[in-house]
Amino acid sequence: MARSAKAVPWFLFAAGGTVIAFILPVMIFVTGLAPAVGLFGDALSYETMQAFVGNWLIKLILLGVIVLAAWHAAHRLRVCAHDFGIRADHTVAIVVYSVAAIATAATIIALLMI
Amino acid sequence: MSQRQIELEVLRYRPEMDDKPFFQTYQVPCEEEWVVLDALNYVKDEMDRTLSYRWSCHMFVCGSCGMVINGEPKLSCKAFLRDYKGKIRVEPLANFPIERDLVIVQDDFIEKLESVKPYIVAKQEKRVEDGEYLQTPAQLKAYKQYSMCINCLLCYSACPQYGLDEKFVGPAALALAHRYNMDSRDVGRSAREHVVASHDGIWACSFVGACSVVCPKDVDPAGAIQQTKFTSAVDYVTSFLPGGKR
Amino acid sequence: MSRKPYVREVPKTTWFLKQSRYQHYMLHEISSIFVAIYTGILIVGLFRLAQGPEAWNGWLAAVTSPIGIVFHVLAFVFALLHTTSWFKAVPQAMRIQRGESFVPGNLIVGVHYGVWAAVSVVVLLLAGVA
Repeated sequence: MARSAKAVPWFLFAAGGTVIAFILPVMIFVTGLAPAVGLFGDALSYETMQAFVGNWLIKLILLGVIVLAAWHAAHRLRVCAHDFGIRADHTVAIVVYSVAAIATAATIIALLMI
Repeated sequence: MSQRQIELEVLRYRPEMDDKPFFQTYQVPCEEEWVVLDALNYVKDEMDRTLSYRWSCHMFVCGSCGMVINGEPKLSCKAFLRDYKGKIRVEPLANFPIERDLVIVQDDFIEKLESVKPYIVAKQEKRVEDGEYLQTPAQLKAYKQYSMCINCLLCYSACPQYGLDEKFVGPAALALAHRYNMDSRDVGRSAREHVVASHDGIWACSFVGACSVVCPKDVDPAGAIQQTKFTSAVDYVTSFLPGGKR
Repeated sequence: MSRKPYVREVPKTTWFLKQSRYQHYMLHEISSIFVAIYTGILIVGLFRLAQGPEAWNGWLAAVTSPIGIVFHVLAFVFALLHTTSWFKAVPQAMRIQRGESFVPGNLIVGVHYGVWAAVSVVVLLLAGVA
């Protein structure tokens, strides 16, 4: 049996899982829950966000968080598919990792546009 | 000692006469301090000589008497009757073919255990005259926990990935590979890699963690596998860099 | 004496319903669906930000719509589920040996929660102050 290449996406899965364990709950709170109840109203205004995301350090952090989250979710969904009885691992892997790759490219493009 | 009447529901299967397994109920007079194994022994001695099951030490060190008791993989010598109310259902270990009654076919596990080279692969074979290997307490501590495995197979019974795909090398075999990889006297990690780091090795594990929960010896095979994933992944990636070993 | 081992089939799609520990496992695996969708929402948000105030406000309105709120509540719950199950697993996945003993698992988990709290406070401050 040859050594499996699953090691590589697993690294991204582990890194992504760690990053989002720390930062995702508060991010979801700030972007979705808080504005719904009127908190942080100004923070999400166009002008404030433009200035905030315009900062290169913030761009780097957002890039890291979003890309790692995407690869984490992709790998986990691959395992999920198997756990739900789908026996087409090769195809599933191609699909999920392609989506993660597209998400990576899209994030880079979007951040460059801001 | 006080007595208690226990209703024991046991999965039977006689290959020479049954097409499929069925449950048989026994009313067993038990002592309060008995374990499920004692109840089974009473059945075999006094009520039904045909009941077949494995057991040996009766003190949870040999690993022979693994069974599923009320849905949970346990050593029947470690399942105290006082912890159960009502009917006690006894089945053979899950995820293994049933040979007869509570006896399962272990051949798959034995093959996998052999495939991970569960022995010291030394840099150079030492003759007895060369003296012993020296190891500090700290070096011993690094692998000791994983050496406690008694091959009872409760972890394979609990592991859903093994249940879904029999090709998975499995918790105990991988924990034992880890035990030798972590042993300072051993240099066999790369020799084990083609099994351990294969698609059916550590990478088939999705860290459900049930194996470590049911382990009667606190070996923590799930932890062993996750730790192996990290070192294996680093090895895999660095093997592609110049100077990395294949 | 002929052998006829009997193989019990495991249902490939519903096996996890059989035990509560498997159900719990599936729950934190499913969190990945919400992570994936939320990541998508963020990426779209970045594009809308780049496209100007009208596009951005459109995104904001969608995110705070009833469906958006329902999704965010669910995503928040699953994100917390991921965080707690991930932190709980760290001492198993990463054993730190100091001499003859290992760093206590509780300490490792405690440090993780401490960092989590610190990160959350920093982000909240950035949002509140910005």
